[in-house]
Amino acid sequence: MSQTIALPKKANRLRTASLNNKLVNDYWTEVFEAPKVGRKVCWYEGVAINPLMQAADVAWVHGEAWSALLAARNNEEPAQQASENRGYLKDLCSYARTHIGCGVMAQNKGEASGASFSDALGANALADNVPAPDMFISAYPYCSTGQQWDEMLYRLFKKKVPIFNISVPWVWGNKPDSVYLGGSEFREAVEYMKRQLRECVKFIEAQTGKPYDWDKLHEIMHYTKQAGQLRMEAMEMCATKPAPASFFDWTTSLAPVNFVPGGPAIVDYFEKVKLEIAERIANGEGTVPKERYRLFWDGIMNWNKIGWLANKFASYDAAMVAGRYTHMGFWHEHECIDANDPLEGMAINYLVCPINLSAPLMIEQIIKLCKFYEIDGVVLHAARTCRAFSNPQYMIAEAVARRLNLPVAMIEGDMVDESFYKDEVVSSRIEAMLEAIESRKRAGIAA
Amino acid sequence: MNSKEIFAELEYAAEHPLESSKAWKEAHGTPVVGSFPMHFPGEMAHAAGALPVILQENHDPITVGHGMIFPFYCGYTRSVVDQACKGDYDFLDAIMFGDHCVQVLGAADVVRSRLPNTRVHFYQLISSMSDPWSLGRARETFLNLKEGLEEMIGHPIEDEAIRDSIRLFNKNRKMLRQLYEMRRAGKVRLTAKQMQLAVKSSMVMDKAKHNETLEALIAALEAESSTAQKGVRVYLSGHFCQAPKVELLDMIEDCGAVVVDDDLYHGQRFIATDVREDGDPLDALAEWYLARNLKVPCPTRVDQNADWENYLIDAMDRSNADGMIVLMAKFCEPHMFYYPEIKEAFERRGVPHLLIETEHELTALEGLKTRVETFLEVTKRQTRARSAAA
Repeated sequence: MSQTIALPKKANRLRTASLNNKLVNDYWTEVFEAPKVGRKVCWYEGVAINPLMQAADVAWVHGEAWSALLAARNNEEPAQQASENRGYLKDLCSYARTHIGCGVMAQNKGEASGASFSDALGANALADNVPAPDMFISAYPYCSTGQQWDEMLYRLFKKKVPIFNISVPWVWGNKPDSVYLGGSEFREAVEYMKRQLRECVKFIEAQTGKPYDWDKLHEIMHYTKQAGQLRMEAMEMCATKPAPASFFDWTTSLAPVNFVPGGPAIVDYFEKVKLEIAERIANGEGTVPKERYRLFWDGIMNWNKIGWLANKFASYDAAMVAGRYTHMGFWHEHECIDANDPLEGMAINYLVCPINLSAPLMIEQIIKLCKFYEIDGVVLHAARTCRAFSNPQYMIAEAVARRLNLPVAMIEGDMVDESFYKDEVVSSRIEAMLEAIESRKRAGIAA
Repeated sequence: MNSKEIFAELEYAAEHPLESSKAWKEAHGTPVVGSFPMHFPGEMAHAAGALPVILQENHDPITVGHGMIFPFYCGYTRSVVDQACKGDYDFLDAIMFGDHCVQVLGAADVVRSRLPNTRVHFYQLISSMSDPWSLGRARETFLNLKEGLEEMIGHPIEDEAIRDSIRLFNKNRKMLRQLYEMRRAGKVRLTAKQMQLAVKSSMVMDKAKHNETLEALIAALEAESSTAQKGVRVYLSGHFCQAPKVELLDMIEDCGAVVVDDDLYHGQRFIATDVREDGDPLDALAEWYLARNLKVPCPTRVDQNADWENYLIDAMDRSNADGMIVLMAKFCEPHMFYYPEIKEAFERRGVPHLLIETEHELTALEGLKTRVETFLEVTKRQTRARSAAA
């Protein structure tokens, strides 16, 4: 059920976000056309390995991105119902349930309808019209569920669609030299990832029957690196008060650094975003009409609720300035990428994505962000079916409270299963946190 | 000692693993290495001169642990976090683990934060079993584990020491399998609880001591007269990291089931596969790691060469079981993922099965009892109908 309660204030969302919608729609339109023009389709999960496929002219469906899109466009229910009917329980990862549900629908239907993306969207029938896979690639960091989800898709398609597994090591740190981006274990993990990425390229070559176009990959990664850099620079500009853009804007802007094809369009997008932010800074324009609180979002996004949450926090005069999900992943370590020899930089970015760091390393990065953005409080979104994101949250809450004296609000929700979100509970937790921030301000305690 | 007295001894170790391993440490001066389920090679820690103990879900209510882990996690991880927060693991010299179940990883991070002076080491086992590099990667991981243990004890671990441990562990598995064979053949009357105690105690006791106890148990059982139990022959499947509550097992049998076999982690899954005793021990352990999954497929691994649903159907045939009860620990994601495959395969074959979701907090058994009774009645009728048609 969608929320119908009117919120008193609206977030001042970035105008450039509408360009993102076009990029996303164009991309999915191409995916839906792929089988008709003889392009193979790969279903994959986990880190952004799409450049590997783009260089081989393979179309890609990122399971999480697809499930998020279904939720954002209110198309998720048929897929979730199909997976439930097959016996998948509600406590399973809702991304997986939604994506597997599409697989169940494809199996039930027998063949693709050939409907275009816009027709399927218009008919509220995206889920059962996504092109079926010609191959699977699993590249899930940290979360064992990701690999099992792909395995279940592989079995659902009767083991007839080839699968490739990239095993991503968790950055845990047994040895004392383990630091963020460094230490002997991390170096070994990078080398292991590179070996697997090379094997993955061979797998893709075997599926397409064509030699791999490494030059194309270098070109794609050139644009990806630029986009990654521009995005980080634009986000860092939001240290300004009032913050010109919010975590919700950055969430909306993930597509170009997650699954939209690497090319001039994604660079152009972030150039425009950066420009808009610069304009806002010059005009003193904030992401919320009146910025009284600066907050940090820990956890994955609730895709059913982006607009709702953006307005909700705006109505509390709270700017959600940064977040783990947006600021600690998606080519954020762009400096590590050498476009002419990209596998190492890709491996590094995959390994330090927002869930693949053990708690001590992750907490240090969060503390840095909270200091940099002068955060007043932390909202921890415990996604009910995403243990990967929820795992360290009590430790994060403990650390920011002890080390930065920041109040926190722990709220429950989910990525794409709306039923886990309870607005009244969320409101009371946030209000309690804002009250704690107020009392600190009154007492003159610098947060 | 008669079998009852021996089971009482095993029960103490199985139900009080931390107390018994602490007492062992005090008496023998050996370090204690805790591990998380399900694929950690205890042989390696044993070869390092340590007592390997697989950390268990305990029966205590979860209290302080709730402050560090969400309630939508499996009972095992919540219990482990609770035990760590209560200081129960303080006597351990190290915790080492290799399985990367996302919930266990979450628990491990909390455990490490609560044990700042203890080595909490992770040696990530490749969970994709049928890649060309799976075997090599598993060996690399075991080599890292060996180096971590050597660092802990301050000297190298000889290959022969690992082989000695492998022989000891193989002997243990062999005797436990013998108990299963005796039960399957109807030679002894062993309850599901007793089978669990035999296996679970093996996870926490010194292996040589456990072997001695098992030898005595087998001798006692052979000497005691026993008649085959009558009832609906049931196969128990599922429940990975944590042992099913014995009250639940007792209830199933009280309803008229005779548990004839299982693939439980605290059962066949733990003991089914031996390690090669010759050659390079790290090679042997890596081969064992991959072979285990073919012997008893596990949904926590991805393996193109293993099909758990087919394994279960064959295993039921081999043990002449009439129906299967699936015990699923609530929030266990690998099990939730795989269950529809099993459900469909069993429905296609017309094999009756019942899914029971379990929780750390023992749920009301009365409601479950009605479901089990109905299931057994349906199974009985189907078995009769099949016999009549044959």
